[in-house]
Amino acid sequence: MSKLSKQEKRILALAAAFALTFGIVPNVSAMHIMEGYLPGGFCIAWGVLCLPFLIAGFLSIKKTLNEHRNLITLLAMSGAFIFVISSLKIPSVTTGSCSHMTGTGLGAILFGPSAVSILGLIVLLFQAILLAHGGLTTIGANTFSMAIAGPFVSYGIYTLCKKAGVNKRAGIFLAATLGDLFTYCVTALQMALAHHADTTVGGALVKFLAVFAPTQVPLAIIEGIITVLIVMGLETYAKPELKAIGFIKEAK
Amino acid sequence: MITIDKLCYHSKLRYENAGEKFAFAVITLCICVMSRSIAVACIVLAVTGILAVWKGGIPVSRYLRFLTVPLAFLFLSTVAIMFNIKKAPLDLFAIPVGSWYITASTDSFFYALQLILTALGAVSCLYFLSFTTPMPDILEVLRKFHCPGLLIELMLLIYRFIFILLDTASAISTSQNCRLGNKDYRTSLKSFGLLGSVLMIRAISRSNKLYDAMEARCYDGRIQVLSENQPPRKKIIAAIAVFDTALFIFAIWRRFFS
Repeated sequence: MSKLSKQEKRILALAAAFALTFGIVPNVSAMHIMEGYLPGGFCIAWGVLCLPFLIAGFLSIKKTLNEHRNLITLLAMSGAFIFVISSLKIPSVTTGSCSHMTGTGLGAILFGPSAVSILGLIVLLFQAILLAHGGLTTIGANTFSMAIAGPFVSYGIYTLCKKAGVNKRAGIFLAATLGDLFTYCVTALQMALAHHADTTVGGALVKFLAVFAPTQVPLAIIEGIITVLIVMGLETYAKPELKAIGFIKEAK
Repeated sequence: MITIDKLCYHSKLRYENAGEKFAFAVITLCICVMSRSIAVACIVLAVTGILAVWKGGIPVSRYLRFLTVPLAFLFLSTVAIMFNIKKAPLDLFAIPVGSWYITASTDSFFYALQLILTALGAVSCLYFLSFTTPMPDILEVLRKFHCPGLLIELMLLIYRFIFILLDTASAISTSQNCRLGNKDYRTSLKSFGLLGSVLMIRAISRSNKLYDAMEARCYDGRIQVLSENQPPRKKIIAAIAVFDTALFIFAIWRRFFS
């Protein structure tokens, strides 16, 4: 711990500054579209759009597992980890309120986007059935926004920052936060496409973005901070374990 | 730990055939979502609610509390759908703000109402499934639908691991609480970060041990479990078919002939 203390202090100071700026975090979880909210046609369309990514993810996982069969438990643990981290209450300033992170940015950084697409699908199914977050008919739309679009953006930003030689913490923070924000934008777009009663799609999009912004923007920033803290913690204590995870990511 | 999981193991419908429950919930859900009619949504809400509470033995207060879970999302998105900020007022009501109006039209009001009821009806279908059918039974149904074996296996393992990790996480956060790990916001953020990284480390070491244990018991890429499945009953299948056909015809009639 002492090794990190200086930089950690800086991160914590930053965290505290954000906490003061975005003082109130109301009851929010990640933005799952609830069951029954999208018309049938949109449910099917988003599901079909997910298919190529899911098939690619499935094949990549299958190939990895054919080479190293012992990774199946690790892969399953990773899925369970994403589920658990997204079901835990993250600290918010006001007591009594609870908010949850999506965990997909973290997943994308640790396990790579193709594995996360399949794990994300399974996690979303479990969240729908066990926690009543999201739903069965909207699982296609939710998979697209939370398990495909968000992680791919996160992973893209992460690798870009790594190549550009940006500070690692800043890179992880940007990746997680922007991935989360992108998820939120895609979800708003999905809802706007389906429901624009008396305005254009653009007008509806602006409305959805505006209504969910007060909950989702602070959440994205807190998620970014927490992701940095978790990845830093892992790099300090768990070098060999990270190597093991690298196997999942490398074999594509 | 997970309330829904606990409740479904206590449900009186737990030992019904899983395929029947799954088919009922999913077909009703599809009709409810496709029909987009207020009447169909109300029927579905009532029927699935009554089945889950009366036949399934879920406490009414619990059931109602679960129906309020998605309310925050529902409320916010309904606000976004109904209200407009425009220069000209619409027909339902208009609140002037400067030279603009916060306004809503009657059409969008009914649209929002229909959407809320459809969503609640759909959620109650989902609840019927999750309050009566434990996850392993649902996976068994998916296996019968020829869902890829690898996916089913991953899901089975993930389902098991979720509880292990939740246990570990709650133990860690209890001990963090004991040691003033949440005394202020900065500390609690730091604690959550530590919890996340330690959880990951524990998960990895746990998964290695588990693989060794599986290997020792002749794991060859497939996890074989005995499924204790109740045979489907003709009477119940007939009842489900009659109900869903009637609902379907009613939905079509509402859609096209009224």
